[in-house]
Amino acid sequence: MSPNQSQDSQDIETATTAILPSPLWAASGQAALESSRILVISASATSTSILKNLVLPGIGHFTILDPQVASHEDIGNNFFLEGLDSLGKPRAEEAVRLLCELNDSVEGKANLSSLEEVLEKDPTYLTSFTLIIAHNLKLPLLTKLSTFLWSKKHGPSLMIVRSAGFLAEFFIQFHEHTVVDSHSETAPSLRIDKPFKALHDHAVSINFDSLDDMEHGHVPYVVILVQAMENWKAKHGGPPQAYAEKQEFKKSVEAMRRKIDEENFDEAFAQAYRAWTPTTVPSDIAALFNDDALQQPLTSLPTHSAIFFHLVAALKKFTSESPYTLPLSSTLPDMKADTNSYIHLQTLYKQQAEVEKARFKSLIGPELVIDDDTIDEFVRNVHGLRLLRGKPFGAFDRDQAALVAALSATPKEVATHLALSALSVVLAQGSSKDVTAVRLRSEVNAITGPFEWPEDAELNLGNALGELARAPTAELPNTAALLGGLVAQEAIKIITRQYVPVKGYCVIDLIGSWTGTIDG
Amino acid sequence: MNGQTHPETVDWPNRYYHIDQILDRPGPRTDSEFMAGDAVKDFLRNDCKILCIGAGGLGCEILANLALSGFKDVHVIDMDTIDISNLNRQFLFRPADVGRPKAIVAAEYVMKRVPGVKVTPYFGKIQDKDESYYMQFNIIICGLDSVEARRWINATLYQMADAENPESIKPLIDGGTEGFKGQARVIIPDVTSCYECSLDMLNKPVTFPICTIANTPRLPEHCIEWASVLEWPRIHKDKKLDTDNPDHIGWLYNIASARAKEFSIEGVTWSLTQGVVKNIIPAIASTNAIVAASCCNEAFKIATTSAPYLDNYFMVIGTDGVYSYTFEYERRPDCPVCGGESRNVDVNREWTLERFIESLTERQDFQIKKPSLSTSTPTVAGKTRLYFQAPPQFELETRPNLEKKLVDLVSEGGEISVTSTSLPFNLTLRIHYV
Ligand SMILES: [Zn+2]
Repeated sequence: MSPNQSQDSQDIETATTAILPSPLWAASGQAALESSRILVISASATSTSILKNLVLPGIGHFTILDPQVASHEDIGNNFFLEGLDSLGKPRAEEAVRLLCELNDSVEGKANLSSLEEVLEKDPTYLTSFTLIIAHNLKLPLLTKLSTFLWSKKHGPSLMIVRSAGFLAEFFIQFHEHTVVDSHSETAPSLRIDKPFKALHDHAVSINFDSLDDMEHGHVPYVVILVQAMENWKAKHGGPPQAYAEKQEFKKSVEAMRRKIDEENFDEAFAQAYRAWTPTTVPSDIAALFNDDALQQPLTSLPTHSAIFFHLVAALKKFTSESPYTLPLSSTLPDMKADTNSYIHLQTLYKQQAEVEKARFKSLIGPELVIDDDTIDEFVRNVHGLRLLRGKPFGAFDRDQAALVAALSATPKEVATHLALSALSVVLAQGSSKDVTAVRLRSEVNAITGPFEWPEDAELNLGNALGELARAPTAELPNTAALLGGLVAQEAIKIITRQYVPVKGYCVIDLIGSWTGTIDG
Repeated sequence: MNGQTHPETVDWPNRYYHIDQILDRPGPRTDSEFMAGDAVKDFLRNDCKILCIGAGGLGCEILANLALSGFKDVHVIDMDTIDISNLNRQFLFRPADVGRPKAIVAAEYVMKRVPGVKVTPYFGKIQDKDESYYMQFNIIICGLDSVEARRWINATLYQMADAENPESIKPLIDGGTEGFKGQARVIIPDVTSCYECSLDMLNKPVTFPICTIANTPRLPEHCIEWASVLEWPRIHKDKKLDTDNPDHIGWLYNIASARAKEFSIEGVTWSLTQGVVKNIIPAIASTNAIVAASCCNEAFKIATTSAPYLDNYFMVIGTDGVYSYTFEYERRPDCPVCGGESRNVDVNREWTLERFIESLTERQDFQIKKPSLSTSTPTVAGKTRLYFQAPPQFELETRPNLEKKLVDLVSEGGEISVTSTSLPFNLTLRIHYV
């Protein structure tokens, strides 16, 4: 290589290390992070642990809202306070200063008002943020905050984090959360069962007998299966249905093999089910078509959710036309083949994907102008679309039927969650000295109403209550650090709209070393 | 230096307000042996000695957590220096630290931030230290991305373990992350399964057949492999490819791009080139935090007996919600480190010794390079050396065996002992011809 080219690569290196976007969420996710504004309520050890994991990957802005000064207790368990040097200073200011040292592209601010004041005087301040995270907030205040934010349909999501000793949970309050790029691991259909015309024509044009051994061992399995299935259909009038027929089809594929070590035929044999499995619209995507949002007139506000439903409406139209599938994916997985036959096949898929994307575009309604990149991203990830509909904080605890159902599905998660709910109630009424297992139990009863606990859940509940009575106000460094990782990760998913965040409660027990979720 | 100050003089009232709620009384699941109050606090803060292996993404988190949890005698080993690409997740390092040893910078930082904690760094390899060094610790936490180093420490701790002497049993807590996936596990020599038991569970690194790379490239990855596996040694002869060197990556990127163009393959990029040759999924701060916290939580529970510890494996995946799974990873009876039984291996009776050795190096559950082989059950009396990589006279003497069939060298049901510099123990295989 010439010296010039190596100079180019130097420049690329400099550029990539300066920005440091994580390849896990790509440039679009990084841009979302960089324009995000996060409000964190309290500068507790848990809050600063969460922030640390958001500042490092590069959020745009964070504010810590906390009027308290650092106490002896605080400086003993918070890595973002400087021991006795921070004692008596506003802990929000100290934490902001030390967190900002981690990444100088992140803007941090301390707000020494109390949340009461903000809710009283200037609640719209809260809606200027992308996301709000609250740790161990007193229950009445938490209720006020969550109620206010729930009343704003397009307001920020709220992450509610509670912890005591080895036990913890968090809940994400949002009306709806749409995900286009869920990084789904499900591979999109190759449509071997209903090949598009160019694929069909290419596959049936191959005369296997005329190929030399080298060529024969390098025909991509997709081509083998399409031809085998077309032959089968010509003979039988349709694809194999019964088990015996499917075995018969596999034998017909095997019969095309020339040599025992042809890996492309190994692949064709292993993937034969793709040839008879009908490509349809996946059920969770089909469910989107019946969503309430599509039954109403589409809004012209360019929100994420409006754009999402606008495109879903077009998708619904697309799938109601032949071949009644999602638009074709342009990505062809690797398979045994020689370069030319693979690249040729890849080109066929790419060209057809372009045709279908153009058709899809033509079906998008005129109410909203959507840029091409957004449409491309939608089509590229269409098989993994996700829509989460959330509930307001506290709704689960008030819903007897949901509690009963969740208790049988996830007893230890629900028991631990109710124990934490009870702790919030007791701490709101008095001090930590009032917390006993008996008192907590009566609060759990007050939440659930008259209720027969299953035996295993009763044991889980007893363990959780005993543990909370042991350490009702303990913020353990390891619990804080673990929440720091989990909550920051969910925050990144909410902000980037990539991957799928937790819906309901995520409950953590660091004695049993488990986490679990309640769909509440 | 704060680290030099005697711990008692630094503790302020209510410093451990949070942790002491746990240490002052037992919970419903706490073992009856728990000595609540001063006894456990004294042990944790004055006697307990803990080692953290690795001062990278996990190590930084582990050191901070241990210090805040009240461990005051912490040691750390790491052989690396700080690279600019570490700064987006290794939060104890600043741009001005680039080039300095990770262990030393991390230790200084934690001592400064958490007064009264003594962190003793060692800038070097874990293999530099012997059993007497590892014997001084109560607990060892491992936050490494190297399979080889973890196998070494696992085997070393098992060799040290003497059932007669409880002090010699060193709990090993191992953490690892890959993107949104992570795991933490507790390994107690002679009690639980060990790291070696689960070697075949690791994701197999993606490798492409040489014939694909050389003759039928289809993916950008194939072009990059061609540049690194075939072209680099051809052009640069003995110069070793350094995947951290931007000039080297740049060279590969250019070569791979040219090849991709020649074959009309799209998608060779700088970051893909780096990803393929380093063969890693990038680490992120949040997963590191989850796994490090989980490891330190287990260390805290083991050190204090304030709650039962993990038995013995916790894994978490954060791509679709938070999915985790806690389970007991079972011992393998034929584990070469903790099992005692020799491993049965089926061998094609047509295979030469050379083909057999090649098959060993391909196996995910062995992960060996350049093995030397001997047998206690030769077909010809006295011919116990099958193939030795070194010294040269042994290599020369045993080389002719490579072309012989294994069935003519080792009898059916016989044993082969495998050694390798990449293997911190002897592997015994029982041969069955098929
Ligand atoms: Zn083992």
